[in-house]
Amino acid sequence: MKIALAGNPNSGKTTLFNAITGKIEHVGNWAGVTVEKKEGNIKKSLNKGNSEIIAVDLPGAYSLSPFTSEESITRDFIKNENPDVIINIVDATNLNRSLFFTTQLLELGIPVVVALNKSDSSKKREIVINAEALSEKLQCPVIETVSTARKKNGLKDLISAAVNVKGKKQQALFEGLEADLTDKNAVEASDKKRFELVKAIVAEVEIRKTSSNRQTRQDAVDRVIAHKWFGIPIFAVVMWTVFSISQTYLGPFLADTFVGWIDAFNGWVEGLMGNGVSPVLKAILLDGIIGGVGAVVGFLPLIMVLFFLLALLEDCGYMARVAVVMDRFFKKVGLSGKSIIPMIIGTGCAIPGIMATRTIKNERQRRTTAMLTPFMPCGAKLPVIALFAGVFFNDSAWVGTAMYFVGILIIIIGALIVVRITGEKNARSFFIMELPEYKFPSLKRAIVEMLSRAKAFIVKAGTIILLCNAAVQIMQTFNWKFQVVAEGAENTSILATIASPFAVLLIPLGFGVWQLAAASLTGFIAKENVVGTLAIVYSITNFIDTEELALVDGATDVAGVIGLTSVAALAYLMFNLFTPPCFAAIGAMKAEMENKKWLWGAIAFQLFMGYTVSFITYQVGTLFTTGAFGSGFLPGLIAVIAMIGCVVYLARKGEQEATSKAALKSA
Amino acid sequence: MENLIVAIVILAIVAVSVTKIVIEKKRGARCIGCPHSKTGGTGCCCNHSAQE
Repeated sequence: MKIALAGNPNSGKTTLFNAITGKIEHVGNWAGVTVEKKEGNIKKSLNKGNSEIIAVDLPGAYSLSPFTSEESITRDFIKNENPDVIINIVDATNLNRSLFFTTQLLELGIPVVVALNKSDSSKKREIVINAEALSEKLQCPVIETVSTARKKNGLKDLISAAVNVKGKKQQALFEGLEADLTDKNAVEASDKKRFELVKAIVAEVEIRKTSSNRQTRQDAVDRVIAHKWFGIPIFAVVMWTVFSISQTYLGPFLADTFVGWIDAFNGWVEGLMGNGVSPVLKAILLDGIIGGVGAVVGFLPLIMVLFFLLALLEDCGYMARVAVVMDRFFKKVGLSGKSIIPMIIGTGCAIPGIMATRTIKNERQRRTTAMLTPFMPCGAKLPVIALFAGVFFNDSAWVGTAMYFVGILIIIIGALIVVRITGEKNARSFFIMELPEYKFPSLKRAIVEMLSRAKAFIVKAGTIILLCNAAVQIMQTFNWKFQVVAEGAENTSILATIASPFAVLLIPLGFGVWQLAAASLTGFIAKENVVGTLAIVYSITNFIDTEELALVDGATDVAGVIGLTSVAALAYLMFNLFTPPCFAAIGAMKAEMENKKWLWGAIAFQLFMGYTVSFITYQVGTLFTTGAFGSGFLPGLIAVIAMIGCVVYLARKGEQEATSKAALKSA
Repeated sequence: MENLIVAIVILAIVAVSVTKIVIEKKRGARCIGCPHSKTGGTGCCCNHSAQE
């Protein structure tokens, strides 16, 4: 038996899906989190019969009209896969809007059960809904549910009701889905009639003691938090606080202990091996595999704290306000209002962020968003940020915060450039986002999200990063004749000879050495590799508790070992954050863009942005700190001017094409 | 003998990592480990070209 879960965005479908299947799919306290259907078996504790029941969580939709991709997914699934029953999740706090979709579902000829969700919230708001009367009106079962509650949540009754209605016929209240979708007037007339019907039903079954038009405390808070100008400094303060806790105070405190365990493990393995083992094998296991992976995993506590705090922010409803604040700027530069959703999702991992762009209908806006989403620092880039903030900037929270804001600035500049190249500078978009209610964030949900991210981090460290580190260690140990490289002749290693030509290109950015170039190159496989590779090439296995480093190369700290000025370190950090993302994310870009020209253009643009931002940071920073430009200024400037020239040429070409198109149209 | 044991341990670790990557890729994960990067096993049923 197959049950489809359908309902309006942010009505609690994924929370209910998780509650009935025991899965831990990502839940967001805002609309647009689910862009694909998700399947799971219903828990045995809720399923009285022996037969298997599969629940399918569908993206939220306000109607069955295929005007947006989420609605298309819902409509196509119901049309093509013919579920046995539809559970329609209705937000009890917003019955008027939710029932519009319910009446459409009832027309499909598939039995429907209504889950009157968020019943606890509706009671708090003094909204009384007569579920029995509603059931009679809709001619389908209506079950009150609170999917976040452990007991008395109504889920058992809901599944029983779904099983009972399977195969039974239900009467549709309204027949309007057959309206010709190409005829705007017919669709509008049909929708109007449907709204009238819904309004009449709600008037009979719902009693609101408080008028919904009354200004609430939430409205007053929103006026400040989502304010056009105050919203941005508030966001900066919030992010700074998040980074302070995760990277300056609590995170390093936990990481110190954790890194101690990794060091102890390394020492234990070294002790086990004894002196008889070949130094090459020893180096691969201790420095490459355990050391390299350990250096990355050492940042796990910092990342867990950060994701815990971000999950709290999302769950309390704050991230939806950030979307509203940013939406104003994004719309002005030709992006879709919806572009902010992939970008916020992209702070966790760029890939689901890029995949979320498919909710944007306009092709140019979708491709532009897919191209710009990787500029938001994702979870994989956090160890790199934490490493450089810790080593060169004394664990300062401003480094992480600044990287998010530089990312946003690059997105805005990038969108402006793309809009000119594509010749659509007058494009405007409209986006209405429903703001979820503020609520006390669920600690359980934040912990689940944090653990899920931690698991992902460990799995990645134990697979891709481990293999890369082993390969890097081997390439550093041997030369092209496959002889072990002598001490002091590291420049002849396979790794050094591959990375050295790239290092020359990086001289104007302040880090033209093969070790740093090699770390950036491995970063394209997975960004965490930057940390792992630096650990291997500089023989540092511990970036957090650095007491042991005093003896390495006579340097007193990691910064001394790496040999970068703080300005060059910031430039290097930006280069790794704002050049193209990992190959997996590039694959996701390819899938969403569906156009090779756009894909290669996007990669070139990301390289251009990363190089330019890094060049400006290093050269201007060096000028301020030393009174003179840094090394390689002139060739770097020529390269940057050449790249800017290409962008200007493409923008002019785009404008000319747009003008000639407009002239043709008017003719 | 010690070298052989260490070599076998390294190969075993590498083999486990490669196997895990292959399994995750077969499950549809684009970013290994990331809980949100799978295509849901059944793939995406929306069709961009149909909307354009």
